[in-house]
Formats: sequence, C-alpha cells, structure tokens
Amino acid sequence: MPSLISPSERDYILKGIECNIRADGRQRPDYREVILETGVISQTSGSARVRLAGGTDVLVSVKADIGPVLVDPETGEGADKGQIICNVECAPSASQQFEGRGADELNNELTQMMTRFLSHNTTTLSTPSSTTPSSTGASNNNGAGGINLSKLCIIPGEQCWILYVDALVLDYGGNLVDAVFMGTRAAIFDTRIPKTEVQDLGDGNFDFEVLDDAEDTEVVEGREDMPICITLNKIGARHIVDASPLEELCTEAKLVVAVNRSGELCGLQKGQDGGIEPSLLLEMIQFGKTLGQTLIKQLDAKIKAEADADIIKRQNGQPVVKLGFFAQ
Amino acid sequence: MSRAELLSPEGLRIDGRRPAELRKITSTTCVLSQADGSAYLEHGNTKVLAAVYGPREARHRALVLHDRAILNVELNVAPFSSGERRRRSKNDKRLLEMASFVKQTFEPVVIATLYPRSQIDIYLQVIQHDGGTLQACINATTLALIDAGIAMTDYVCACTAGWIEREAAIDLNYIEESSDTSEVTIAMLPKSSKITLTQMESRLHVDKLEEVFRLAGEGCKQMYEVMDKTIRDRAEDLARKMTV
Repeated sequence: MPSLISPSERDYILKGIECNIRADGRQRPDYREVILETGVISQTSGSARVRLAGGTDVLVSVKADIGPVLVDPETGEGADKGQIICNVECAPSASQQFEGRGADELNNELTQMMTRFLSHNTTTLSTPSSTTPSSTGASNNNGAGGINLSKLCIIPGEQCWILYVDALVLDYGGNLVDAVFMGTRAAIFDTRIPKTEVQDLGDGNFDFEVLDDAEDTEVVEGREDMPICITLNKIGARHIVDASPLEELCTEAKLVVAVNRSGELCGLQKGQDGGIEPSLLLEMIQFGKTLGQTLIKQLDAKIKAEADADIIKRQNGQPVVKLGFFAQ
Repeated sequence: MSRAELLSPEGLRIDGRRPAELRKITSTTCVLSQADGSAYLEHGNTKVLAAVYGPREARHRALVLHDRAILNVELNVAPFSSGERRRRSKNDKRLLEMASFVKQTFEPVVIATLYPRSQIDIYLQVIQHDGGTLQACINATTLALIDAGIAMTDYVCACTAGWIEREAAIDLNYIEESSDTSEVTIAMLPKSSKITLTQMESRLHVDKLEEVFRLAGEGCKQMYEVMDKTIRDRAEDLARKMTV
C-alpha cells in the first residue's frame, strides 16, 4: 500500500481517466477479474476467499455459535432475534503500514460499516405474527442487511444463533471494501447452521437440542437479499470503479454504495476529503446500483455452479478439492 | 478430555498415518502482491501465510544496529483458526513467545551483516490451526525469506516429534498434541545438520529423547526435500517466463 504518489504519476492517471483509459488498460466502468471460492476453511460454518486480480485478497469466515439473545433494555426489542457480529482485520502481510497498531483505525472503520450494512435494522420491522403494536405494513421484514434475524432465534428471550463474521485482509491491491463485502456475501451463502429441536417443558420453560447430523442443516434465510458494496472513486470530473492503490491515492472523494439484488439501496457512505456535486452524486449512485446488480448476478451464478459441482462430487464419492491459496 | 486411542493395535495413528510419516505438505511462494517475499504452506490442515518486507530502513532509529540488520517477527492468529472462535490480542504472551522463537531461529541463519542499519520484517498469519504451528511458521518463513532474496547460509527446516503411547512419532496433529503427549520441535539446517531451535512441551523420559530427536531430524530432512522442490520449481518457472 503506497502512501505517496509523484505529481507526474498523478497527472498521468488523471489524464488517462479523462480519456477513459486506465493504467492497467481498463476503462472507467471496468471491474477487475474476481476470483471467488467458497468452503475454503474446514472448521467454520461457512467461508470464502475473494481475490481481485492484481492484489486484494480477503478471507472471510462465518462461525455459528449459540448464545443468549441481546435485548435492548429501553425498547425491549431483539428478544426474538439472532445476532450477527462482524469483525474485519487487516493483516500486516497486506501492507507494511498495518504493522502493530497501524491498522486499528481501518479495521474499526470497516467493522462498523459491515455491522451497519448487515445487521442493523433501522427500518420498522413487521413480524408475521405482528406481536409488536409498532409494526407497520413494510413488506421486507429483514432490514437492510437482508438476513432474517428472527430465523436465527432458537428460544425467544433466551437462546439464539450468533453468526460471527470474521474477515481477514491478507493482501492489499485497492478496493478493499468491495472485496470484503463480496467475500462476506459468499461466506454467508456457504454457511450451514445445524437444525435445532425445541421441546416445551411446560411452565414456559423450553429446552432445545442441536441435531448433529451433517446432512440436517439449514441455510441462512435471506442470504439472497444481502447487499454488496460498490466503491466509486471520483477522480477529476469523472468517477471510476474498482480503483487500484495508485488510483486510490488520486481520489478526491469516494462513495460506497451498498445495493442488493433487486436494486434497492442498502447503504451509502462518502469518504475522503473532496466534495461531490449533487448531480454527479445521483449519477454515481445510479451507476453503482446498476453495476452492483450485474455483479451480484454473476457472483450468484458462480457460487451456485461451485456448490452444484461439490454436491455432484460428494454423491459420486470423489474428494472435493479446494484450491485455496493455490488459485492464482 | 477422554484419552482417545492414539495408536491403533496395528500401529496406525489417529489420522491413519504411520509413526514416521509426515502429513501432506503443500507450499507455494510469491502469493502476495505487496510483500517483498511471501509463502503459503500447509501441513495437513495447519495453514500458514508468511510475508517478508525488507531489508528496509529501520522504523525506529533507536533499534538500528550499525553492522547488521535487525529481524522483526510478528505473529497473528486468525480468529477462526481453531475450533472455538477466539480473538487473540496482539499482546498475547503465547504469540509473542512463538514470534520470538522464530526470530531466534533465523538470527544465526540470515546473513544480517550484509544489510547494515536496516530491518527485515517477517509477518506470519496462522489461518488454520491443527497442531504443529511453530514448525509450519518456521518452514513458511524460510520459503518467504528465500522468495524475498535475503541471503541465508542454509534452509531452516522444522519438524515436531513426540512419544505417542509406545512409539516415537513425527508431525503431531492437534488431537495428538492436546492429549498430553510430549512434543519436541526442532529446527535444523539440513546441510550441516546443525540444530538452531529445540523446544519441548510436557515431560519425556530421557531414554526416549534420542529416538524422538532422531525421528524429528529425519522429518526435517524430508521437509527440506519438499521445500527445496517448491523453490526450484518456482525458479524454473521464472526462468522459463524470462526466456519467452
């Protein structure tokens, strides 16, 4: 991760982008090749590795654990919901600047962004049984993150599934946010949660049993509606996607657009010190939305193809070989 | 933990290996774009990534040595690396200890006097843990240092060996490691057969030590073959690319 750029190099990148040609031969709206593989770490509930050609390498794992539900002491909400706990860590192998405590700020920023985009439910929720009087007729009860947290609850008010999402950034080649979210979406897609059986002991007491049959698992409901992020970098009067590290250094303003498969906007975050004109802002959001939808479609197709291939291999008794780090 | 039978009557271990058999080792170098040298190594299910930066200007002027380079080792363990999810802080004593073992192992091997007033950083990332983390870290570091082109007198190959029930065995996995078996990790320079690190956990009868050491040494030699092949394949690949 370089931290300085020479004026001539900056000029070169700027003029190139003005002419719609970038240093690596791409045009402004072009994304790099994405290498994606799921199920790379065996002892997790789900995992994925995303690599953008020419650098950025992110490993995401999801672990499902049983824990007590988190109830908001003021509103009393959350008693019937599971939790998602996100954590992003940048390894020093990614950049020399991440050594020691160097990455703390970036880690925190990414963790908070992920928490906000995935698990935070700011919209008023409607539960199917409409137990809460505040519920309105919103059609989507899963919030912006897409995941149906109520399904993760085992015994309301007591126990629930907690999904620990850990993203580990191993290599840095620009466009970190997009890669982290792509990886997270793929890892949640790969996640299988064991089924539970709840027994009513009477007197309002419940007990549950986790079925430890490897075949008897559930997928995370609402995983299709999870958003991915598209980062748009404003350089000069233009904007580009999937910036390389040097292009990131020339960026005046950065806009992260979180979008789901139906094209709904799930989050926005403007970064860096430059400003964006309102008209350009709308154009950028629109562009991010369209690109995000296309990307989701392609990612889903890839994940599905891989999962199908794995199932066929298992049925035929062949070993499922993962490339892991040997995929270059 | 209930004592599972670690050695079957037929003399096979819990994962079906023979006592003097290593797990499957796969390794590759040059996996990261930013680092000067990097390597990824798998010992069975133990997976380690090593990155080397440098030699470069020392970050803290107070640490500069005027006749040689300083080595700096940082070890991180991914929160999902073991069965239970656990976040380790950067100041975890065990991690610091392991980092210092790696540092001590490499200090006599890296020709540091060639790089005065500079610093060589080694960052290790444990991605999955299934026993033998230290040996995997040392082996991965060797490959990463070679990939970075840093002068060394020899490879450093590490291997663990232990005493399981009635026999000495090498390359213990997590189950064998955690059921109170004695375990010795040694790091060896394969050319001179000199040992640069020994570390032992749990107790072992002194009569059995020699056998365990001999086996670990053999393991190191086998490791050397694998690592040397990785490096040579990589070099050949590069040479081929340059001629085209």
